[in-house]
Parts: sequence; structure tokens; C-alpha cells
Amino acid sequence: MNKKDNIEEFLRDNRPVVKDDPTFLLETNRRLKSVEGIKAEVDRQRVQGHMALIVTLVIGIVIGAFAVLIGYMHPFDLNQMKEGSLYNALVFIETWKQYLIIPVALLSVTLSLVLSLRRNKAF
Amino acid sequence: MTRERFIDLVRTEQEPLRRFLLGLCSGNQSLADDLAQDALVRAYVASGSFLGLSKFSTWLFRIAYNCFIDHCRKASYDTVSDESLEAQGVLSDDSTDESFRYQQLYMALDRIPEKERAAIVLHYFEDRDIKEIASIMQIPSGTVKYLLSVGRNHLKEHLSV
Repeated sequence: MNKKDNIEEFLRDNRPVVKDDPTFLLETNRRLKSVEGIKAEVDRQRVQGHMALIVTLVIGIVIGAFAVLIGYMHPFDLNQMKEGSLYNALVFIETWKQYLIIPVALLSVTLSLVLSLRRNKAF
Repeated sequence: MTRERFIDLVRTEQEPLRRFLLGLCSGNQSLADDLAQDALVRAYVASGSFLGLSKFSTWLFRIAYNCFIDHCRKASYDTVSDESLEAQGVLSDDSTDESFRYQQLYMALDRIPEKERAAIVLHYFEDRDIKEIASIMQIPSGTVKYLLSVGRNHLKEHLSV
């Protein structure tokens, strides 16, 4: 028998014996009972986080849609100002206003994801 | 998972879990039981995240191992000396052969690094295979084989086998 067998045999023959403790599960049960309140609170916070995510998403879409609607209802007379960076910005918005909802929605989704992740990290 | 269901699952796993931690804690029964309680509380809180992809016992042992690692980091458990083992009641004046063998084993286990100790305890005391140990310790299978080999050599140095 080689040395490896010796040590393996020694370890297998001397596995620790756990003293029987009937109070162990009772103590576990007691601790779990006291933890249940915390668990409920964690679950509540998780649901709240999801709700916040959905609400932020909906608000983002509504604001985006509203911004597009306002853009269509009140067209800006570009003939009044024909130079400067503001003019260029307004021309850009006027040209692409139908797509304005996309960056607004993207921004709101990103913000809600970032905020919900930060919220989850707290637990 | 309800508390009653969790307790039912734990009922069959409590003895192997306590024995695993007893080996990791080098025979300190009260510390092992404290860590086992902590592990069970952590497992219960996280029971929603148990998807059943691995066995319940593997998942529970992984949590217990993490509890032990956290404890080591907090208490610098690796530097525990023979005197402190005595103070913890691990070493006793009991002079029976069996008691002497356990004392010798625990002292040797206490002297090897915690990862080697965990691999040895899981493989030889709990009869876990390499794949399961890798899953519990969250390391590759090759590393487990290496830890077992090095751990055996280190134990041989400390034991007169």
C-alpha cells in the first residue's frame, strides 16, 4: 500500500462525527421565522423596483409622444432667423421631429435600467 | 419556497452540512454550527434564486463554503494557532486512541490552506466527486484535482500516517 492510499484510508476512516443536536433544527426554524420579515421586505422592494421601471418607461414614451405632438401642432417659422447654431439645431429638429420619440424613449429606458440596477445593488 | 418546505429539505441535509463545516473549522463544533445556521439563513433568503439547475445539497454546500470563506476573511482564521484550538475546546485531555486520532487530524487540517482543506473535506468526508466539488467551490475541475493532490501532501507532512 503506498503513501497516497495510506492518507486516503486514514481520512476515510476518520471522518468527523457530528454530535446529534435536536435543538439545531429548532434554532434554525426560530432564525428563519425572524428572517421572514426581512424577506418580505426584500420582495416588496423588488416589486417596487419593477413598478418604478414600468412607470418610468411609460412616462418616457408619453413625454416623447407629447413632444412630437407639440412639434407638429406648433411648427416653428424658420424664415424668422436664418443664421447661427440655434437655427441649425431647429432645422435639425424640424427635419427629424418624427423620430424624436426614439431618443426620448431610449433615454427613459436607460435611466430606468440604471436606477433599478442601483436599487438592486443596495440589497 | 415556504419555510416548512425549506425545513423539510434541510432536515436531510443538516448532518452532512454540519460535518462539512466541522471539518472546515478543524473540529470546532460550536463555530461549525454557527456557520451552518448562517448558511441556512442565507440560503432561505436566497431560496427564490434557486432554480434547481444543481442539486439542493450542492447549492446549500456552496453557500456554506462562502460563509466559511467570509468568516476566514473576517477573523483571519488561517492564523489560528494550536493554543486557540485548545481554547475553543477542540483539543481535549481525552487520551483515548480515537480522540487522539481526531485531535491529530484536526490539527493537521488546521495547518493547511482553507481551499485545500475544503477540497479534502468534501472528497474524503462527504464523498463528493470532482465535478461536484468544482461546482461547490466555483473553481475548475483541474484546480480541484490539484488542491486534492497538494492537500494530501500537506496533510502527510503534518500527520504521521
